[in-house]
Amino acid sequence: MGEAILQMKGISKFFGDMAANDNVNFSLEKGTVHGLLGENGAGKTTLMNVLFGLLKPDGGTIFIEGNPVTIHSPAQAMELGIGMVHQHFMLVPTMTVTENVMLGLHLPKFPLLNPSLVKQRINELSQQFALDVDPDALISQLSVGQQQRVEIITALYHETTILILDEPTAVLTPDEAKELFVILRTLKAHGTSVVLISHKLEEIIAIADEVTVLRNGELVGFTKIDKEVTRKEDLSAMMVGREVSFDFKKQKGTSMHEVLSVRELCVNNERGVQALDHMTFTVRRGEILAIAGVDGNGQKELCEVLTGLRQPGSGAITLNGNDITQASPKQINELNVAYVPEDRQKSGLIMDWDISKNLVLKNFRKKPFTKGLFLSKKEMDEAAEQAVEAFKIKTDQVSTLVKNLSGGNQQKVILARELATDPDLLIVSHPTRGLDIGAMEYVRSILIAKRNAGVGVLLVSADLEEIFQTADRILVIYNGRVMGIVNPDVGIQKVGQMMAGITTGEAHA
Amino acid sequence: MRNLVIKQARLGIQNLLPSLISVLLACVVTTFILLLGGYSPVAAFTNLFAGAFGNPYRLSETFVKAIPIAVIALGTSVAFRAQLWNIGGNSQYTVGAIVAVAVNIYLDLPPLLLFLLSFLAALLAGLLFGSLLGLMKAKLNANEVITTLMFDYIVAFLLSWLVYGPMMDPEGGGFPQTALIPDAVMFHKLLAGTRLHTGLFVALVLVILLYLFWKTPQGLTINMVGHSKSVAKASGINVSKTIVFTMALSAAFAALAGWIDALGIHGRLQDNLPGTLGSVAIVVALLGRLHPIGIAFSAIFFSALMVGGNTMQRFAGIPFSLVTIIQGLVIIFVICGSVFEIAHSRKQGGSHDA
Ligand SMILES: Nc1ncnc2c1ncn2[C@@H]1O[C@H](COP(=O)(O)OP(=O)(O)OP(=O)(O)O)[C@@H](O)[C@H]1O
Ligand SMILES: [Mg+2]
Repeated sequence: MGEAILQMKGISKFFGDMAANDNVNFSLEKGTVHGLLGENGAGKTTLMNVLFGLLKPDGGTIFIEGNPVTIHSPAQAMELGIGMVHQHFMLVPTMTVTENVMLGLHLPKFPLLNPSLVKQRINELSQQFALDVDPDALISQLSVGQQQRVEIITALYHETTILILDEPTAVLTPDEAKELFVILRTLKAHGTSVVLISHKLEEIIAIADEVTVLRNGELVGFTKIDKEVTRKEDLSAMMVGREVSFDFKKQKGTSMHEVLSVRELCVNNERGVQALDHMTFTVRRGEILAIAGVDGNGQKELCEVLTGLRQPGSGAITLNGNDITQASPKQINELNVAYVPEDRQKSGLIMDWDISKNLVLKNFRKKPFTKGLFLSKKEMDEAAEQAVEAFKIKTDQVSTLVKNLSGGNQQKVILARELATDPDLLIVSHPTRGLDIGAMEYVRSILIAKRNAGVGVLLVSADLEEIFQTADRILVIYNGRVMGIVNPDVGIQKVGQMMAGITTGEAHA
Repeated sequence: MRNLVIKQARLGIQNLLPSLISVLLACVVTTFILLLGGYSPVAAFTNLFAGAFGNPYRLSETFVKAIPIAVIALGTSVAFRAQLWNIGGNSQYTVGAIVAVAVNIYLDLPPLLLFLLSFLAALLAGLLFGSLLGLMKAKLNANEVITTLMFDYIVAFLLSWLVYGPMMDPEGGGFPQTALIPDAVMFHKLLAGTRLHTGLFVALVLVILLYLFWKTPQGLTINMVGHSKSVAKASGINVSKTIVFTMALSAAFAALAGWIDALGIHGRLQDNLPGTLGSVAIVVALLGRLHPIGIAFSAIFFSALMVGGNTMQRFAGIPFSLVTIIQGLVIIFVICGSVFEIAHSRKQGGSHDA
């Protein structure tokens, strides 16, 4: 250690007159894992995009092994030994691993690559770093964790010495995250340096050697991590500038009034395979029912059926006494159901529209956003100003296109829209994925506040910490079946076991 | 708030710029082609310009031609905004014209009534025709490029059959055309000695109406479906219904263009009435960036090319096909421009993590 493989000095990047990076210094030592922390919109992705040649900095210099370099393109970054895994995978599902790696290499068209050589290299890397990827598998057959490893292979393909991972664990299950960390340790042992962006502080403490913290585009802290000494609170205080607490005040006593009742629900997914298998449960007024489960056990299909986006095979769904088994999304909307979808870019937001319009996607036809025949831009903008304020969406104006917001801030736009109204039923799917710790606290406190106000909340989450902080009852889903509905006092371990499909009899609440 | 206003104004120019550049590039390339062919570019362009705007008559002709192009393009833009590729402007125009002429030559009513009735009939025919196309798309998932294209042939043959058969003017000496619409129903001429007629105002009203329409919730809905069907659906929008409505509206504009031309210049049906209007309208809609005002201007531009091209051929001896070349080049540059823009926005936003 001790020798810096990468130094970024005085990096600045402006979007309009807003500084996404303001004179940032960043130094990465050989063979270390370096955590890059900061609130949503702090400028982490921007800094790494500069390093990877995706953005041109407005100021500053990059040194690699002491030599100043200018990086114009990802291809050039890769030549310099830099690889990057973006949070949103850029894989083509209908193509094989090998083909995707070839696509991801940003190589010029000529000379043509030889697929068998690429395959060989994939196998080589796969073995060297215990990545366990089959070069001939189709992407669509792979789990999210495996897909990520394909991205990692692409990033490592050239003699990569610096690997950038932008929020890699946001989409992983806890087990997959553990596997990723094993891979990272192997990489470290081989002398590769890793930049790890994450909002999960316990992970950072577990794996990182050093951290750099950004706030509002500026460098606000650097520290070495000592697993024994460093506390989560220290890091979050550095990031947010205050202590963050997850002590929520829940009012006692949920009512017995059922908002949502699901009986014997069976649903097939698009491949015709059964995704939900005779699910039965209810959500009451003023409670948070958490659906705990490893991703891909039917949660997505459940949310889609409940919001009218998918046709159920059999079973019945009632909402406040109305049969909504066959209802359209529009009808369900009108029955006061709010929904925060899992995939914000595909089903939650119109990326090419501004914040104002995205905030009224569901109610722009209503007053005050439509006055007489016409839409009122003024009303939309005013409402948007308030939402930006309330949810601390980081932007300088409400006419910013959503695609130009940072990931966490995009998520906040959806939350602001769906939580603005007073729904009877609130369905939220991974609401704090990608959010910084301050925003996470805020969102969870809102979920509790809604619950206290009598809203029935259905919370789908893979984050057990989130579930145990907020839920009144926990439904564990496994293979589309209800493994059991339990009270939080059965403990994390028990729920974790149930999520893995292990039954131990009893367990009912 | 000041910030917002500036941003909007800037957006306006940003939107205009690609179209202007496309036109400019097309002219530059044309200059080279002219030089290669041994023609004088100066003569060509001055003649082209003079031919389109040089005297009141030519100017009026430019506007006469611009009317149907603009109105069909308005319709095209409606569909394009919803990512529905309605390329059947010709057939929808023809349907409007057939209905308009039929009402006028077969019904024996006072002129004012005929005028209004033929308007309503053309509008209704357009809406129904468009709904049919929309239903095929929404319910049967039939590709609208194919259906609208096929209907261009079907309607063109229908028109032929009508003017050679059932609707042929019995006193017309066997010419393949219908009887004339009564003079009293026709649009008045705006300038003596020219063909410019009051239908121009109808076209202007349509431009304004569409401009206003984009500010209504229904207009936003169409845009939303164009941007993302899945988001629209999740937001409680009936996507199928929106598709049908969009196609109906789109075809209605083209049908009204047929009505305006029938009552403004043709006065009767003839074989091959629409010519190349439909395809020109597509380019005009794209060059106008699907914006009503932009479309009005680019319609005038294209119409000027066509009118001026004739003069150029006659006086400078430069073949009219040059106009076709300019048109083609504009199309190419408009398309390149949008591809470039998409690539550019990918680079800006797409690679942006989360
Ligand atoms: N292409 C762009 N155009 C305009 N503004 C941008 C663009 N890309 C990023 N920004 C802005 O720059 C700031 C920093 O964004 P960045 O994506 O780097 O944040 P981040 O730290 O990665 O946040 P998150 O944790 O939410 O992913 C944000 O306020 C964002 O809105
Ligand atoms: Mg980011």
